[in-house]
Amino acid sequence: MTTGAATHSSALTGERSPLSDTALVAAARKGDMKAFERLYRLHSGKVMGLCLRMTRRRDVAEDCVQQTFIRAWRSLAAFEGRSAFGTWLHRIAVNEVLTHERNHGTRAESDGEAVEDAHAAPLESQREFDAGAVMDVERALATLPPGSRHVVVLQTVYGYSHEEVAEMLGIAVGTCKAQLHRGRRLLRERMGLPEMNDE
Amino acid sequence: MNESTQSGRDPLDEALASLPEDVTPQRDLWPRIRAEIAKTPIVAPATASPVQSTWFRLAAAVLLVVVTSFVTYYLTRQSMPQPIARTTPESLPTPQVSPQPASFSFGSERLGAGYRNARAELDKRFHERLAALPTADRAKVEKNLADIRHAADEISATLAQHPSDPLLQDLLMSTYQSELQLLANVSELPTAGSMRTDL
Repeated sequence: MTTGAATHSSALTGERSPLSDTALVAAARKGDMKAFERLYRLHSGKVMGLCLRMTRRRDVAEDCVQQTFIRAWRSLAAFEGRSAFGTWLHRIAVNEVLTHERNHGTRAESDGEAVEDAHAAPLESQREFDAGAVMDVERALATLPPGSRHVVVLQTVYGYSHEEVAEMLGIAVGTCKAQLHRGRRLLRERMGLPEMNDE
Repeated sequence: MNESTQSGRDPLDEALASLPEDVTPQRDLWPRIRAEIAKTPIVAPATASPVQSTWFRLAAAVLLVVVTSFVTYYLTRQSMPQPIARTTPESLPTPQVSPQPASFSFGSERLGAGYRNARAELDKRFHERLAALPTADRAKVEKNLADIRHAADEISATLAQHPSDPLLQDLLMSTYQSELQLLANVSELPTAGSMRTDL
């Protein structure tokens, strides 16, 4: 695995300094909606990416993003700054997705074009990527069973550790590792990649 | 078979790492989020209310009583050379809270004449036996008794503010029982002539 905490923290903050989030959160906590809108603009892309890959449905993902920011606003007073604001948002977003799945079940069929459409107009801030290759990976990801997909997305795309993912998803660390192993094996099969040791 | 790419990385990791974290929502979700959060003021950070801190103090007091009772019991058992006829707490009148108006004091005077007489008798025997205890043991017993009485006073004061609270009534009764237990334990001690001096 090449992703990790370092990748994750830099990915979360991107070109922004963590201090800017801190200042915006402080202002938002005082009721400054403009500051909160700025936080939304800064973080909605990552939250959307996470929700879309977990749910595979654009409409559901957008609902989850919306609910995530509404819930974040209502819970801002409880945000103690022990983790990055982005990490805190992601935890809320994962909860929203899981709650949606509990209430509505996970549909077998995915909104096949949802993620592909999303890459049609990438943000300037996104790293350079080969659109064709990305779509292959997204398609393969979308075919994974929900349990494995959630773990693979959170760990390999967003860089969370086994422990963080286990806590977010409410599963044991061992289950998390097993789901990651299974997910990576399935991805290799579906992408026609050679077998490797995923331990 | 070389399963790595030219960069030496696992091709699956490379493929997953190529995924952009950000996905732009197709529509601007902010107007709906703003409309929703405008209805919701941020809840101020929770601070311990006076009632909560009172309960915390009471919990600490009860814990103190439990520990104190145990220490005193252990201490007095050590000071007893042999089993003797003892006045068990069960044979003491059980404290009963008599119905009183809320403005009434919540001290031990509420517990009836039977309790007060038994306690006076116990007090007398207690002081006789206490005087015979080694200095160190005597100091510990006196401190423990003071702790229990302090806890009873705190609970009693809180009960005066919340006269119908059954938990507080139970706590007060339990504390008075602990006081009786301590008095009884010390009163059961043999007189100075038969005391162990090797402690």
